[in-house]
Amino acid sequence: MFVLAVIYENCTGCHLCELACSFKHHGVFDLSLSRITILTKPEVQTSVQVYCLQCRDAACERVCPMDAISRDRNGAYIINYDRCIGCRECAYACPFGAISFEVEARPIKCDLCGGEPECVAVCPHDAIVYMEEKKAARELKKAKAAGVAYGLYGGKETSEHPRKKAEEAVEYLMKLVEKSGELDV
Amino acid sequence: MSTPSGRNIGNILVIDLTREKIVKREASPETVKQYLGGRGFNSKALFDMIPGRIDPLSPENVLALASGTLAGTALPMTSRLHISTLSPLSGILGDGNAGGEFSAMLKFAGYEQIIVTGRAEKPKYVFIEDDEVEIRDAEELWGLTTGETVDWLRDEHGDEVSVAGIGPAGENLVRFATTMVDKYHSGARGSGAVWGSKNLKAIAVIGTKGIEPADPERFYKMAKEDIDYFNRNDFVRRIYSVIGTHYGLIQWYPSWKYFQVPLSAEELPIGLRPQDLAEYEVGRTQCFSCPLACKDVYYLPSTGEYGTASEFESIYALGSNNCITDTEEILRMEHMADEYGMDVMTLGDTIALARLLHERGILSDEDVKGVSLEWGDAEGQIQLIEMTAYRKGFGNKLAEGYRNFAKLYGEEALAYCYDVKGVNRGWYEVNFIKGIFTLSHATSTRGADHLRGRSWAYWENDKLMDIEVVRGMLEAGLPDYRKDPVGALIYGERACTLADSLGRCKGSINSWLQAVPLVWKYPVFKGTAMLLTAFTGMEFTEKDVIDATDRIYLTEMAFNVKQGIKKKHYDVKFPPEFAATERAKAQVRRHWELVDEYLERRGCDVETAYPKRETLEGLDIGYVADQIEGKEFPEWDGPVGEVA
Repeated sequence: MFVLAVIYENCTGCHLCELACSFKHHGVFDLSLSRITILTKPEVQTSVQVYCLQCRDAACERVCPMDAISRDRNGAYIINYDRCIGCRECAYACPFGAISFEVEARPIKCDLCGGEPECVAVCPHDAIVYMEEKKAARELKKAKAAGVAYGLYGGKETSEHPRKKAEEAVEYLMKLVEKSGELDV
Repeated sequence: MSTPSGRNIGNILVIDLTREKIVKREASPETVKQYLGGRGFNSKALFDMIPGRIDPLSPENVLALASGTLAGTALPMTSRLHISTLSPLSGILGDGNAGGEFSAMLKFAGYEQIIVTGRAEKPKYVFIEDDEVEIRDAEELWGLTTGETVDWLRDEHGDEVSVAGIGPAGENLVRFATTMVDKYHSGARGSGAVWGSKNLKAIAVIGTKGIEPADPERFYKMAKEDIDYFNRNDFVRRIYSVIGTHYGLIQWYPSWKYFQVPLSAEELPIGLRPQDLAEYEVGRTQCFSCPLACKDVYYLPSTGEYGTASEFESIYALGSNNCITDTEEILRMEHMADEYGMDVMTLGDTIALARLLHERGILSDEDVKGVSLEWGDAEGQIQLIEMTAYRKGFGNKLAEGYRNFAKLYGEEALAYCYDVKGVNRGWYEVNFIKGIFTLSHATSTRGADHLRGRSWAYWENDKLMDIEVVRGMLEAGLPDYRKDPVGALIYGERACTLADSLGRCKGSINSWLQAVPLVWKYPVFKGTAMLLTAFTGMEFTEKDVIDATDRIYLTEMAFNVKQGIKKKHYDVKFPPEFAATERAKAQVRRHWELVDEYLERRGCDVETAYPKRETLEGLDIGYVADQIEGKEFPEWDGPVGEVA
């Protein structure tokens, strides 16, 4: 079983996933038509990612009076628009606000792009992963552990400290500077 | 809608603050084809609407804001809002671009450009939500810092609102006040004072419409290739996303003590190294649709404030050039400049100039009573910054900005003022790298500037990144700056004009990679033509794109001609000590040779530096020639009008 997971520590709030998502499904760049929503305060690094978690026991599926929502082989809950009557019950029932509706009460939600999520393909900071369940859990653990270690040491001396990262960057840069002297085109 | 496809090119919004009148009009397909968008649209609007020399702070001045043509799309790093006006700092074209989310939001609301004219009687702000546009009272907002202004507008209109506006410096007509977007993104050359002079505090926008390329699949395919490239690029991932423009501290020789010593990486004092700055970093952030995250978010323990984007320029201008090495104090100053809404480069350079003039006795103790101009006095500088924003005491003089400030103290002071057309040169290398550095400052249409073409022309940074890109570009027709500096510069100017017009970020790293898409795969102008064709549905050829950039550049030159720019203003100044040397004299001779060649190849008159009629007619803009041909304009000597 594959899951789509957001490692929110990695998200910088650039909105590329939303542009890619709305394009993939609607052929337009339109934040309100994206199945994933990043709520940001752009100037400080805080963002909240709203997206469908494909719950094991999904409220949207249960409340749909027309049985229009069902799971496909990738584990994505898919809306059958031939059956959907546009009552928006699924959107109201979703505890995460992950279902939105277009004009004329057409609910839209993440369908995992048939197994190749576009948001994952464009995310610059590996903040969205689509992985086999166990692997995804491990990635998540690693990200959290780094954060915890950072906290435990009072933000010092771990490989996650910005100073540490900056030192590495400078070291790499110095190497490039040395090398660039020898290059000639 | 204006283009065949319908939903990709927005309308133009004209706001007359005197009459409180709002007009919406379509951007004609011809204008899109001729001027592309962004900077191109703005430069045309200014040329059309400002007849000649006027006081930049009078109601007759025009403030133009435009999203790039491709803003709001998945083509990454395309979120620059271009802001143009007759500059109160220089008295010629003044434009700059700022990041944040404003340009995407404006595009989502259905607009390509906002043109503001006139002057409101009382403080106002403009609120835009898709088709609804309102001029509202801003008396409660007047006096607030940029951060407070944004918070106030978010409380009023919701968190999704994006804001462009000014802080106290703009209200107080500081000549280098900036337009601030979403608190921290700044567009320079004095546009903030123009907002202030118009009694306009801010524009807040919410856009909820979509953008639809004419050929969606083709456009998206190219955009995604671009994203992939950034996501895989080693330099971006290992350096740029980690320390942003701080890498310039290692590579660009930040200057010490008013341009006296360029500091190598080894000489960089503790406190100014990237790792010292990273001590204060609590996260990274970026503009809309950018995969890089070049901006740091920093926390200041002494004041409990958060700030962002402490770029290379702020560190050298506020820090090393004033001999200040206390990391936290520099960050605090940078944050103050953001909150008051001032350009850090002109601010830092003007203060450093004041220090030097005082040291040389050109500024007397009487002149600077009550302030400290000791090199390295951080506390004194914090005071000076506040006094400048509010035009208090000596700050009232500093607020005039670099050249205008020096002018207050006569010829002797002007000798130490290294500007081109009223704009400080910023850091520059005295080394005469095939003439490109000085030439590019001289030919820039907004005064001394490294982002008008030089960085491209001189392969700045690219040497570090990907030599294959340089090779590819040379094969694709880029002149080698070592053999043909003028050709290389014109190529660079075209590329940067293009980036500014599409809304693409170039300031972030000023390299080919970031400036215009697809260069690793297609020659830059051809690649862009493909993108524009897919996006607008109008056929663009490589030549169309090159012609458009020339059209924009020559329109800007003609605008400056109307402001009294003559050939003599293509000069560049060196420190007087250096200027007296034989080496400097040889450089100056070579400089004028290159200027002549440049004007010739740009299709301008070599004696007057006016764009020639035949050149303009060749680009189908004969109307530009009608306004300047055979006319004499009073000679430029800084902006008209007095404040201090």
